[in-house]
Amino acid sequence: MDQGAHTAAGDTPAAAAVDPILDVDGVTLQYKTKEHLITATYRVGFKVYPADRFVLLGPSGCGKSTLLKGVAGYLKPVEGNMRLKGVDIKEPGPDRVMVFQEFDQLLPWKTVKQNITFALMNGGKCKTQAEADEVAMQYIKKVKLDRFEDTYPHMLSGGMKQRVAIARGMAMEPDILLMDEPFAALDALTRRQMQEELLQLWDDTRFTVLFVTHSIEEALIVGSRILVLSPHPGQVKAELNAHHLNHDNTGDPAFGELQSKIHDMLFADRILEDELAAAAEGAQNS
Amino acid sequence: MSTVSETVIRPEFEADDLGEASHADVARKLTLWEKLIDLDGVRKLSILLVLMFAWEFYTRISGVSELILPKFSDTAMALYDAVVNDQLLIMIKNSLTVLLTGYVIGLVIATLLTTAAIMTRFGNDVLSTLTAMLNPLPAIALLPLALLWFGLGSASVVFTLLHSVIWPVALNAHTGFMGVSDTQRMVGRNYGLRGVTYVTKLLIPAAFPSILMGLKVGWAYAWRTLIAAELVFGGAIADTSGTQSGGLGWFVFSSQMDMQIPYVFAGLFTVILVGVIVESLIFSTIEARTIRRWGMQSS
Repeated sequence: MDQGAHTAAGDTPAAAAVDPILDVDGVTLQYKTKEHLITATYRVGFKVYPADRFVLLGPSGCGKSTLLKGVAGYLKPVEGNMRLKGVDIKEPGPDRVMVFQEFDQLLPWKTVKQNITFALMNGGKCKTQAEADEVAMQYIKKVKLDRFEDTYPHMLSGGMKQRVAIARGMAMEPDILLMDEPFAALDALTRRQMQEELLQLWDDTRFTVLFVTHSIEEALIVGSRILVLSPHPGQVKAELNAHHLNHDNTGDPAFGELQSKIHDMLFADRILEDELAAAAEGAQNS
Repeated sequence: MSTVSETVIRPEFEADDLGEASHADVARKLTLWEKLIDLDGVRKLSILLVLMFAWEFYTRISGVSELILPKFSDTAMALYDAVVNDQLLIMIKNSLTVLLTGYVIGLVIATLLTTAAIMTRFGNDVLSTLTAMLNPLPAIALLPLALLWFGLGSASVVFTLLHSVIWPVALNAHTGFMGVSDTQRMVGRNYGLRGVTYVTKLLIPAAFPSILMGLKVGWAYAWRTLIAAELVFGGAIADTSGTQSGGLGWFVFSSQMDMQIPYVFAGLFTVILVGVIVESLIFSTIEARTIRRWGMQSS
């Protein structure tokens, strides 16, 4: 089914020659709440290639964040497997750095620079403090936060905090950067600016990113390839290309068409559910 | 339906030139008086001064007995005299030595209990049951029992101090560790923190506001317990361990026995002073340098 989705969406010829960085194959993820055992995703498969901006898109409850936590190594699949560069993912590690939505991902007792050097030193990226300082400053400049390197996180705005988190993630130069709705807690203007900055950073360094969002527009702008997931439990609905879309062509018909196509895909479920509910009700009444 | 308002359509406009904002008070230097009033210390000191004058004034005009309420000036003289001639400083030192002994041993036990509570469910149950049971018990109530077990001497006082330190410290630290957010835990593990480094580099700083709160409460409880213990049993303790011992509580108690009431007040002042110095100077400084600087203060 994974294979089918690939060919249907028109695989690029290069994909056959290049090995995927991340290979998720038939993964079912479950987690427990106090009352229930919840199946978050059911037999989900996809491949992420180098320099992909791969987006997991779906409504709330489609298990996209859970899937990302699985890739990060916080959660073990009950079925299927996840491989990073051909090696099974067993536990969290600095080769897959996660950027969260929550602002408290920055350690409040460390300054902007210390937050990054802390990651570099403990993650084994840098051996000496001087080396870590240098790398940290380089990435702080990249996200345009020089002059703020000695500031504590609570003095920064939401957008600045997320920029520090992104700088920290990129400084680690991970095989894949995992972003869990990193802009969802920001206001609309800041969000747009952050999306642009992320794309600029990607233009500079061509990192690989796995990006979770529930906004169709954000998926089209940020993503180069989009995995559309259905809710309860999350299953793959489609894998689509969006590398040709960004902020500059949001007015193009192609943008609108893809947007409404995805919208229909996600919305179709709801209609179906409504119809089923109505039918069930009708059966009961008669 | 005439109550429904229609949108009022008005012409649009755009400002061509914003010009200079001009107002006399855009930025004005504060006067010296305004700056003085803004200082916390100045305001609080003036309250103390008013109280002092009221005290002195009342004792002078009302003719109240020296044995009931001595003059403020006499109390101040007594304090000076006690410091210079009566080894008040040694007594402060004695009190603080006992206090620190109890505090440090208490911290060690609290650390062990908290570690067990975090690592195992059984430890968690032990801590929460013990805390729920023993926390409401005033430490001073254990002193008679302690004297029975450990005899007259500072060991008994240390034992009661342990009781007043362990529970608030362990309880607050445990709450702090439990409250570390999932995001921060995941961040720590993401950057390769495991085992001991995970605890020292992530959990402890993240839980530090609660830990510090526990240390503060533990200290305050211990100080009150110590003075009370010395007041009640200090004489016995002082007698058995020779002269020149006994702490601040004993000073207050023995001064009262000798009907030297200004010295009783001087002793109480010293108790307040030491408490204020430790609580507001030491702990406030730690707070200002850590959790307030980091924006982590919860209250």
